[in-house]
Amino acid sequence: MRLELHKVRIENVSWGETTEVRRGTLSINREEMLAVAMEEPRFAHAELEITRPGESVRIIPVKDVIEPRCKLSGPGEVFPGFVGGTCTVGEGSTLVLEGAAVVTSGSIVAFQEGLIDMSGPAAVYSPFSRTNNVVLVVEPVQGIDQHSYEAALREAGFRLAWYLADKSREAEVDEVKVYEMEGPVKESFKYPHLPRVAYFCMSITQGLLHDTFLYGADMKHLVPTLIHPNEKMDGAMVSGNCVSSCDKNTTWHHLNDPIVEELYERHGKDLVFLGVIPTLEDTRLAGKERTSSFNANLARSLGADGVVISEEGYGNPDTDLCMNAAKCEKLGIKTVVISDEAAGTDGRSQGLADATPEITAFVSTGNVNEMVELPPMDRVIGHDGSISNLSGGAEESLREDGSMFVELQAIIGSTNELGFSRIGARWV
Amino acid sequence: MVREIENVAGIPVVQIATIVPIMLTVGANRIVPGVAIPHPVGDPTREGEGDRAVRRQLLERALKAIMTPIEEQTVFTS
Repeated sequence: MRLELHKVRIENVSWGETTEVRRGTLSINREEMLAVAMEEPRFAHAELEITRPGESVRIIPVKDVIEPRCKLSGPGEVFPGFVGGTCTVGEGSTLVLEGAAVVTSGSIVAFQEGLIDMSGPAAVYSPFSRTNNVVLVVEPVQGIDQHSYEAALREAGFRLAWYLADKSREAEVDEVKVYEMEGPVKESFKYPHLPRVAYFCMSITQGLLHDTFLYGADMKHLVPTLIHPNEKMDGAMVSGNCVSSCDKNTTWHHLNDPIVEELYERHGKDLVFLGVIPTLEDTRLAGKERTSSFNANLARSLGADGVVISEEGYGNPDTDLCMNAAKCEKLGIKTVVISDEAAGTDGRSQGLADATPEITAFVSTGNVNEMVELPPMDRVIGHDGSISNLSGGAEESLREDGSMFVELQAIIGSTNELGFSRIGARWV
Repeated sequence: MVREIENVAGIPVVQIATIVPIMLTVGANRIVPGVAIPHPVGDPTREGEGDRAVRRQLLERALKAIMTPIEEQTVFTS
């Protein structure tokens, strides 16, 4: 299975006559793009804003971030199940507008959404402070239920990300990166002496606006399965999550998964990358037991010697993390887990809600409760009053001058558990 | 809170919650497994009388647990 990512580097974004990329600038016809957004009948009103790295701009509340991509060749279309059909993806070539992002915002969908500052102290923590952002700000029609609003905003994000890439097919490509790998059986035969490693991508699948989708299927109704890593780069897994923003995997994160990137890089050199197992975080104990048993069994069936496990969220998913690690270790499969910690504002509390002696290799991506002071920004895109409803914020978080005192968890992507952040951990 | 009420006030506590491993980790003594994280003490998927029956069963199990002398952490599943 071979996938070429044709990367066009975006250094700037501006409004223009036509939507296209010229010499690193993504120019956008605002009316045309807005019309694409307003194909959604559940929106009463929509606006588009642009913002660049370094500007004094705060975007709040942020629901999802999506990297503009479209298929140039090969079966299917990016974001299968939403933009294209449900044909499996991950082959042929895909156009990527690297350095650009579609950000979805609007009146808040649910209480756990985040913020992006384009400069200042919060900009250190979020990858989306360093992308040229096209922000969709919407008002839904009156009387719409939250689930329907979430679906509308989620789908609009994919449509707009595809639209921007689709209009940029003529752009000069800066880099072509090739990802080529057969399935786990053939690759294991190719490198019989290398350890075989699978990747469990734990995903929040808890309903009540806490959902992840695989090929358009709501993952909470699935059992864990195996996908080729290339499928992730074409948007097979997407976010439908209104959850604490520091450690939710936005769609952008799924597309640019650093664990996939690293395992691919080392494939055939010092390990065999068996593939990605998108897995659940159920709301019932029996569901957690079933899921972790399936995961361990899948890893064993694939002949895995080791598994990398990333968590999404914190709290009850810590139990899924423990079960996944423990059940694999009991089968003799080595594990390493990647998770953030909710260790309190002073960092002195137990980092995870659950624990198990089988977790012997733990990579921490930071403390979600760490307090940060955010100065006011000149311009706010969205509604800054929504901080009182955000995880990591409170009614008193927003001061009259526009400054904020919040927990790290209010900043989107700040403690991302795929490791896509600038926070590091000391070796202990 | 569960442990503090027991330690300081000497009142036995039964905790109903969904993710039993977390309760075992944090040191709750009398544990009754709940239904699901969004609805630990009921089951709205079983409408009306079905939900009511689940709630009554959990309450009765909790009352039984609180009256049962224990020597170690105990999960009451019946």
